[in-house]
Amino acid sequence: MQFGAQGKPPVGIILDADIGAGIDDILALAMVFGLEAKREARLVSISVSRPSLKSAAFAEAVGRFYSGAVSGAFGAVGRTLPVGLRLDGKAPEDLPVITTPLSKRNEKGEVVYAHGIAKENDTAEIPALIRNALTSQHDQNCVVVLTGPATNLADALAIPGITELISKKVRFLSMMGGAYPDGKPEFNIKANIAAAKKLFAEWPTPIIASGVEIGDALLFPASSIESDFAWAPNHPVVDAYRAYQPMPYDTPSWDLSAVLYAGRPQGNYFKLSDPGRITVLDDGRTKFAPAADGKHRYLILDPAQKENIIKAYIELASEKPAVRQPRRRPQQQQVTPPPPPRPPEAKP
Amino acid sequence: MIVTRKALNRRTFLRGMGTAIALPFLDSMTPALAAPTKAPVRMAFVYVPNGIDMANWNPAYEGKLGELPRILKPLEPFRQDITLLGNLTHNWGRVLLDGAGDHGRCSASYLTGVHVRKTMVDIKAGVSCDQIVANKIGHQTRFPSLEVGLEDARQAGDCDSGYSCAYTNNLAWRSDTQPLPPVLDPRMMFERLFGSGLALTPEARARQGRYRRSILDFVTGDTKKLQSDLGPTDKRKLDEYLSSIREVERQIARAEKDNAQIDPHMEKPYGVPADFAEHFKLMSDMITIALQADMTRVVTFLVTREGSNRAYRELGISDGHHPLTHHLGKTDLIEKVIQINTYHVQQFAAWMEKLKAIKEGENSLLDNSMIVYGAGLSDGNRHAHEDLPTLIAGRAGNAIKPGRRVVYRKETPMTNLFLTMMDQMGVHQEHFGDSTGRIDSLTSA
Repeated sequence: MQFGAQGKPPVGIILDADIGAGIDDILALAMVFGLEAKREARLVSISVSRPSLKSAAFAEAVGRFYSGAVSGAFGAVGRTLPVGLRLDGKAPEDLPVITTPLSKRNEKGEVVYAHGIAKENDTAEIPALIRNALTSQHDQNCVVVLTGPATNLADALAIPGITELISKKVRFLSMMGGAYPDGKPEFNIKANIAAAKKLFAEWPTPIIASGVEIGDALLFPASSIESDFAWAPNHPVVDAYRAYQPMPYDTPSWDLSAVLYAGRPQGNYFKLSDPGRITVLDDGRTKFAPAADGKHRYLILDPAQKENIIKAYIELASEKPAVRQPRRRPQQQQVTPPPPPRPPEAKP
Repeated sequence: MIVTRKALNRRTFLRGMGTAIALPFLDSMTPALAAPTKAPVRMAFVYVPNGIDMANWNPAYEGKLGELPRILKPLEPFRQDITLLGNLTHNWGRVLLDGAGDHGRCSASYLTGVHVRKTMVDIKAGVSCDQIVANKIGHQTRFPSLEVGLEDARQAGDCDSGYSCAYTNNLAWRSDTQPLPPVLDPRMMFERLFGSGLALTPEARARQGRYRRSILDFVTGDTKKLQSDLGPTDKRKLDEYLSSIREVERQIARAEKDNAQIDPHMEKPYGVPADFAEHFKLMSDMITIALQADMTRVVTFLVTREGSNRAYRELGISDGHHPLTHHLGKTDLIEKVIQINTYHVQQFAAWMEKLKAIKEGENSLLDNSMIVYGAGLSDGNRHAHEDLPTLIAGRAGNAIKPGRRVVYRKETPMTNLFLTMMDQMGVHQEHFGDSTGRIDSLTSA
């Protein structure tokens, strides 16, 4: 087995994010890499729901920034994870939150945050990407995190056999979307109401939803951007934060809660609702109905934990990538008996 | 006007003494005043092992094919006949949770598109796409499919880190537990195509003295009778076709003679040429005849087996192919890999030339075919299973628009291509293996 000697690896995270729409998706992405640096989780798939090449390019640039932290958990060891990108739909205007860091150059005129995405076929087809990532995970050792509209995950549900695969591999879906126990239509749900309805109705594992009220109540502090990321002279998350709004500003942390719960479900940062069923109304509002056999819960903010939660957000989002020892492939075994020269091991 | 000409039956054979020679597509098989008969589409898969040096396979451009990279240079004359496909992936070949054994996995999943069981005993794969097609349309031809190889047909033992040799040595799978081993021996192949179907022992062959004569001698009567009914174009076609059979016979006889003179302990089946290029030519010549005479429409051709350690001494390369591909970036080793990759393409190109020279109405046999040339690994050094080297030669009867490089999105399953190809064979499946749909841009410019 891949990790036979050490048992199961840290939980794999499949992240589908609305990169480019705001700053909280980007902070959430940084938190995933923080969990990876602390060996609490591994990013095994990233996909972008905003149909813009620049959004995918930014996601890949962040992955390359954390370099060693990009696990390449499926496919060949050491490769950069392909970035899944939704292509249909009207290409949105690319906002400074991603265009500014992507266009940043150093004093030699070189691009600071390199990426390899220039055209559509530099990105991955999302349903296949997510399915393939799932196949590389140990049973019940994967968490799916959704911080954008439900479009991509709803599409993935159309692949034959994927419901069984998700049930086998995924512990739960941690998603930012809705308002609980009730409230106005929330952005991620409203962006694709049909997909959200399908997701809540058909997703086979437990779903833990983080409502808009959680992020509204917990602001990520600008002071952290000024100080905690200083270990990198150029940091794409810092440059994105600065480009999103005039500094200094504290920002709602909507998507961060979904990552924190995914990575540390036992952390007691949030309270959980009783089980029940979340349905999406035609106007985009979410409705929670308690049910003993329900698979859905939502996060409840415990005011006493506010400080701890913010601290965890900062700790994970600003974490340096861990220095990795080179990973070795399992020893290359003899392929054709009897081969006179023993094949050398493939490079890590 | 009274039209009296009777069309020649497509299933006409030249018969004599246990021999039945099918005929190629002739103009006189089309009824007078009828619309030209559409030749059938043929599907073939040619597999090369241990990946390919992708830096010398992938052009730096997309769209219309221009200058071809070094490994593909032998295909320059066929630039307008091939389609290069990029970014196709076989996820089930990857390590995933099964550990070492990329070679065993990638060849077994190549045409089946499934996650094969890691075992040396109770093998389990899936029905390969060629066999799905063969099952549906195989009744229309003498052989539902042909399985051909050049190297190794062992079906037992460990060929890669716990994967049975059945996984590395077969491309075609009739069921999830029944692979179809390739025929390696040209004589066996010849007898399968033209003989009575009963394999004779070498002793029986010698006793009968049958192979001192050509099988064409046995069908002289039928041949003369047929020739008298044919027009000049068909006569020429028939002559060329029978000559190609005779040439194959001569090559086999020569190989058998050569084999009798070399080391008797050498593990070569009866009639297998010692020379790789000659072996490739013989087998591909017979595939050509089988396709030309519509004996089959489905072929798998395992050039050498995945993990092959064959040394290409004819190129001055004494290292085994597989160890060379784990070159760790050493340029001298990479150069040898490129030479082997190019050598394989050269043999393929020579075959393409023959297919292109055979006319079927307005098209060539190549036009009426779709022949995938590819591998289950891209970078053999890293055992990469994405952006697999894949080209399609032919037009599937004008359905495919060749002369282009089409690069799909990353992680696009290879099985999406196979699903699309099955459509062209008239076999429509909703899904195949890990497919997520069909590929676009293959049948439209």
